[in-house]
Parts: sequence; structure tokens; C-alpha cells
Amino acid sequence: MEPQPPSFSQNLQPASSKLGQSHFRRVSCTEESSHYPIPSTAADVLHMRVKEGSKIHNLLRLVTARLQEERRDSSGRSLRQVVFTGSGRGLTKTITCVEILKRKIGGLHQLNKLYYKTVNEVWENAQQGAPAVTVPKTVPAISILLSKDPLDPQEPGYQPPETQKSM
Amino acid sequence: MLVNRNASTQTTRFIIWPHLQPGTQRNMTEPRNSRLSTIPQTAPAHTDSASPAVEMDPVEYTLRKRLPRKLPKRRNDVYVNMKTDFRAQLARCQKLLEGGGHREICVHGLGLAINRAINIALQLQASSQGALQLAANTSTVELVDDLEPEDPEEAGEPMTRTRNNSAIHIKLLPLLRGWLYLSLSTLLTAASVQVNSVPHLSFAYTN
Repeated sequence: MEPQPPSFSQNLQPASSKLGQSHFRRVSCTEESSHYPIPSTAADVLHMRVKEGSKIHNLLRLVTARLQEERRDSSGRSLRQVVFTGSGRGLTKTITCVEILKRKIGGLHQLNKLYYKTVNEVWENAQQGAPAVTVPKTVPAISILLSKDPLDPQEPGYQPPETQKSM
Repeated sequence: MLVNRNASTQTTRFIIWPHLQPGTQRNMTEPRNSRLSTIPQTAPAHTDSASPAVEMDPVEYTLRKRLPRKLPKRRNDVYVNMKTDFRAQLARCQKLLEGGGHREICVHGLGLAINRAINIALQLQASSQGALQLAANTSTVELVDDLEPEDPEEAGEPMTRTRNNSAIHIKLLPLLRGWLYLSLSTLLTAASVQVNSVPHLSFAYTN
């Protein structure tokens, strides 16, 4: 079965579904991503790209190790900010990742940004040589900035760290 | 023992946020109460009679998801689910926005409906031509599953399992009004108005 990601955008739905049902059996989906609109203030920011097949355990192991390491480098500061970006099917996983991280490491300020990401898919046809078709698609994406330093509370999408257990 | 393994994992992934209208809420709470007394033979649509392989027990369990706890719903809250048609939910949000009377609307989504909620919010922003501002908040919601033994003869006791799920809450704020409020508040503080009149004014504005 061809992996056909559901596109909720109304005007682009016929294109990829038509390709999936017609002769274009072979799929080689190469993507090109665009910017992510998060204003990061620190110099070094760890950027975690969460995809659909990412393992949360592996991601969090990396992030906690980087966030909690001692100041061994010459710049003298450990990592203060992490950005998680995810789109399409990896979107829910991104949010889950962030929630679990916030539970592990408390006191993190959060800034959420939602945007549309344009993805170019290249569909090939295995039968007829190589007339490759590029289909541009817009998928929803999220960028979440987690920082140990306080962020601007007036910014839309800002979420303060949880002081007490709300559940 | 391992009956319908696929079904259990499939339905576990699709968490349904109750669309809080009186009709559907009645539908969802009814079968839950009725199944406590009868042996589940015919399963209603949203509950499954799959038995998850509980570590080493040969006892078969029926997995039943409890609904997430009911959150207060104001008039401008929209809860997104995967059952209702996407376009219908989009139109509903559009109507709430254009109907006036609400400064902002809040779109909520749980689990798989997070994607849909974000999509609805982004579509609304795109169709409003830049007059809307999005503010997203994430949270964790605890969901409880009831595990009941299918055979009353086999000595198994009903267990509950708790798991966490992510939720998103997106506020759609009109851009102009937000700016107006901000400028108004800065004007008042700069002009050194009396302290007790300032909260009165801000309260009147939000009303």
C-alpha cells in the first residue's frame, strides 16, 4: 500500500489522491522544507526534527543529556533552549515529546507556533520510465521552543511553566 | 488469549474527544452504563471488545475507554473530533467567529484530533486575511481505561489503566482588538490614572 499522507488542505486533496490511485505506483517522496518561524534568542539552540517514525525515547534521551550536561565547553554555558519542529504525521508526536520533556525537566518556558509548511513530493512512475511529477503540498506544522530562560509572556503562544500539578 | 490484537491497538490510537452536544453525550454515556450488567456480545461503535494481552494472564479482558473528564465548555469553545466532518467543524468555527459577540474562540483537540484542530485554526487564519492571531497551548490529559474480564467464571478482577495523551488548545484572537487593548492600557498607565479606576475600565472592556 502506498504511503499516502492525508492532506487536509481542501484544494490539494485531489492531486495526491489521484496520483495514488492511478498508474503512479512507485512513490519516492522527497521533501523540501521551508523556514520555521520561531524567534530564538540564544546563540546555540538544539533543533529537534520530529518525524512520524521517530522514537520518542531516543529523542528525549538526546535532549535530556544535552540539557543537563555540565559546562564543559569554552563558551561556559550549557544548552538553554531547544526547538522541536514537526509536521504532518509527526505533529502529535512532537507535542507528546514536549509534554514528556516538560514533565521530566520542570521549569521550562514554552512558546508554540503553528504554521503551514510546503512540502514538495516527487512521485515516480515505475511503469513508464521516469516522468517524475512534483506535487506541492501544504501540511500543518508546529514549532515549539522550550527554554530555561523566561520568554516574553506577551508573545502569542507563550505558555509558562507549570508551578503545581494540575492533574 | 490474543484475540483481536490488531483491533485493540488500532482503537487505542484513536482517542475520541466527545463533541459536547447533548445528543452525542447521551449516546456515549449510555452504553457504558448498560454494559456493566450484561456480558458484552454486541459492541457499540466506540467501544471494542478486544482483549489486550495482559502480561501473562490467561484471563481475557475487555478494554473499555472512559471518556476524558468533562471540561467546562463556554460558548466560544469548540472541541474537535475525528467523527464529524472536517468541513462541518470548519463552518461551525467560522460561524462563531463571524457571529460576533465573542472576542476570541478556543479550539481544542485531543490525541489524533490535534492535527485536525491545528488545520482548522490555520485555515481560519488564512481565510480571515491576517485579522486573526493564533495562540496555541499544549497540555497533557489523563485517560483511564477499564479492563474487565470477559468471562465471569475466570477469576479476574476489573482493573483500570491510566495513560496520558496530549491535547492542544488554540485561541483565535482578533488582531485589531488585541492591539487596541494593549494601546489603551499603556495610555492609561502612562497618564497615571487613579489605581482603582484602571481595573474597572479593563473589566468593562472585556465585557
